[in-house]
Amino acid sequence: MKAYVIRRLLELIPTALIIVLGSFALVRLAPGSPFSSEKEIPPEIRRQLDAKYGFDRPLPEQFIRYVGNLLRGDLGPSTKYPQRSVNEIIADGFPVSLTLAGVALVWSLLLGITAGIIGAVRQNTAWDHAAMAAALVGISIPSFVLGPLLVLLFALRLHLLPPAGWGDLRHVFLPGLTLGTIYAASIARLTRGGMLEVVRSDFIRTARAKGLSERLIIWRHMLKGGLLPVVSYLGPAIASMLTGSVVVEKIFNVPGIGPYFVDAAFNRDYFLVMGIVLLYAFFLLLLNLVVDVIYGFLDPRIEYP
Amino acid sequence: MVFPQSPASLSIVVQLPFIRAVAVLGAGLMLTLAGCRPNETGYFGTTTPRHGPDELWINNAGEPEWLDPNKCADGNGGEILWNTFAGLVQAHPATLEPLPDIATHWDISEDGRTYTFRLRPSKWSDDRPLTAHDFVYSFRRLVDPATASKYATNGHIFQGGAAISRGAAAPATLAVHALDDLTLEVTLVNPIPYFLNFLTFYSFMPIPRHLLEDLAARGIDPELWTRPEHVVCNGPYRMTEWKFRQRMVFEKNPQYWDATNVRLARVRVAMVESYTTALNMYAAGEFDWPGSNTSLPAEFLDELARYHDFHRHPYLAVYYYWINTQAPPLDDPLVRRALSLAIDREALVTHVARGGQIPSASLVPDGLAGYRALSLPLFDPEQARQLLREAGYAKPADLPPIALMYNTSEGHKQVAEAIQQMWKKELGIRVELENQEWKVFLANAEQLNFQVCRMGWTGDYADPFTFLELLTTACGNNHSNWSSPDYDALLRVANRESDPATRLKLLREAEALAIAAQPLIPLYVYTRSQLIKPYVRGIEGNHQDRHPWKHIWIDEADPNAHDQPPVRSGSAEPVGKEAG
Repeated sequence: MKAYVIRRLLELIPTALIIVLGSFALVRLAPGSPFSSEKEIPPEIRRQLDAKYGFDRPLPEQFIRYVGNLLRGDLGPSTKYPQRSVNEIIADGFPVSLTLAGVALVWSLLLGITAGIIGAVRQNTAWDHAAMAAALVGISIPSFVLGPLLVLLFALRLHLLPPAGWGDLRHVFLPGLTLGTIYAASIARLTRGGMLEVVRSDFIRTARAKGLSERLIIWRHMLKGGLLPVVSYLGPAIASMLTGSVVVEKIFNVPGIGPYFVDAAFNRDYFLVMGIVLLYAFFLLLLNLVVDVIYGFLDPRIEYP
Repeated sequence: MVFPQSPASLSIVVQLPFIRAVAVLGAGLMLTLAGCRPNETGYFGTTTPRHGPDELWINNAGEPEWLDPNKCADGNGGEILWNTFAGLVQAHPATLEPLPDIATHWDISEDGRTYTFRLRPSKWSDDRPLTAHDFVYSFRRLVDPATASKYATNGHIFQGGAAISRGAAAPATLAVHALDDLTLEVTLVNPIPYFLNFLTFYSFMPIPRHLLEDLAARGIDPELWTRPEHVVCNGPYRMTEWKFRQRMVFEKNPQYWDATNVRLARVRVAMVESYTTALNMYAAGEFDWPGSNTSLPAEFLDELARYHDFHRHPYLAVYYYWINTQAPPLDDPLVRRALSLAIDREALVTHVARGGQIPSASLVPDGLAGYRALSLPLFDPEQARQLLREAGYAKPADLPPIALMYNTSEGHKQVAEAIQQMWKKELGIRVELENQEWKVFLANAEQLNFQVCRMGWTGDYADPFTFLELLTTACGNNHSNWSSPDYDALLRVANRESDPATRLKLLREAEALAIAAQPLIPLYVYTRSQLIKPYVRGIEGNHQDRHPWKHIWIDEADPNAHDQPPVRSGSAEPVGKEAG
């Protein structure tokens, strides 16, 4: 187990290098410059700007310098927000996205697993249909529809919550709900499906034959097996929640890191794009590892080579 | 309990409740939208302030790039700088006429090139005296290549400025001198009649040299001088809080020379990028005014125009299409003129742009600093077809398809599609639309890698030259490849002319010459649409959309007096959106 985790961690190094090289190449191959605007900049000034950020050096040299800085934990400067470093920008935005992800995760698990259990236990009853219909609606409604609907209802009609912004507790609910609901819907369907899969297996039949109570069978045996697909889904889901949601953070003006995925690329803010991509990749790889480890606890058949 | 596994039955049973759920949701949506109709008050959202009478809550549409007057090159920074710094002169809130600010009065030399400003004794916000040397430092720093200011060209109006930014001369050679602590003498390249108006621009604010040097001495990067923990300013407000991408808070600066006439004690500025989100926040009373940099979502303009708190005024910006005049068939001025005449600008503005914009076939807006716009037909398809025949294209099939490039945006797309239709209908020309992401678009425009492309230009100062300069040979923003020595010469002569009337006549002649060659196709003059809460006073509608906070105040006594509009419009014409 320990050896397995260490080996997996070591495997992250070449993967990370490929990601750095790939994203560096992609972002630098895009036409346009961070300094282009509809107003002309005198060539001498343009040269100064390029020199300031090292863009006047050959690309391989820039890459080596970037990787060198990266190893020292320096993600470089931002060209769009010149008074801030990418480290500062991520340090500002990441806790915000983390808070939002936390709320969304708790909400999606609560709602999703509850609905999934109801669906599985009361299969083919009105309860099941209602829960799964709600899940289907949840999956089908994009966040750019759900978000504004929640704003209309809770902010503009009922005046219970602010329509957007960040700063105190009241700001967390609407974006958290919007972000979480999409995941809750998938979680509900996966939980239900996973549990129904387990229902017919031998160990459940054995448990029943032993005379265990239905409650115990559901909670101890079925749910544990039923959560397997949810766990593997949660790995990438949490990574994408953690690194923020472009749409939800835009709609609610949440100062997290989500919108940078789009804006930094549009602004050709090279170092910021790289920083955000690396952060996302880091969490994706790490959470996939965590998922694989958790699998071992949930499914006794899995062994770590 | 039995658990039969039958996914087929699931999909069937799910359908019914799903349809019902959608119906319920749809009804809910209608209900909420119905709530957006003008209410009994006739205002869009709340009508009483959610804060005390000495405060203002606005939006600034995003993080500024720089808050350094010399380096700032974006509207988000400009809005902050205009309210935290005071220059030599300030613009009148309605007419934009230059009024004294730090300079109390000035003398202009006989030839109109040398200005001598007398400064009032005033102080920086850290109590240090502000002198003419701070202006000299700022103007030199603006053009110094080491500063790497994107707006360095603004300093080219000073004698020696252009050579310094080229790196051909030392910054100290700039023709800007402090004769004593309170006297500043500047010499211009030409007797530029719009100089004082231009001088109100944020690039020309003073810079607290002592602060930058002090930071450098303490080992702190002097570029960070505008952060709230360091910043020193001399304007009506100073920043006290800056939460990145959330908000800025500004408090009245007691050291500002005219502080007694500044009414609001505090201005809270949010940074909401989405126009729709900003609109929601306005409705909920989180903003008293979405601010100069926030546009109303174009799709809601017709609806919003029905509310009492909706205001519209003309804006000094022109929407036009560049034509790349390099290659056939667009190297022929007859073809280019035909394209212009085949556009029904009235229809374009009424049915497509829909913001009350002013259709225009000429580049300089009518009435700008006394300029009389060229009288050109807005639409003449018959003449257009005639010109095309003269150019040798008797049949439309003779003309190869034309590519029309625009940057990705719903608004630009609709305009492009309308023009595609008009050119096809009137001239039989096939037009291929190419939408491109902004930076790619800019790169292609710069390299003349297009046939026709959309562009907009916002005037930097109230003078026709801000638009006419676009077509000069030397101008880096001229993306037409068209160049005319006669045009350049006419503008040169005009700008050396000290009689304003003669100068305007020469400028008009120059524009007529350029439009006859049609290197660009002007479409319309922009407008600005805004929502302003009824209790907000002192916001004047002006064509540069500058609304200094120091003139704004909260009128709690009479929140519903909508017969007294808070914005006085400069034009009777109803006008609307701007498109970036």
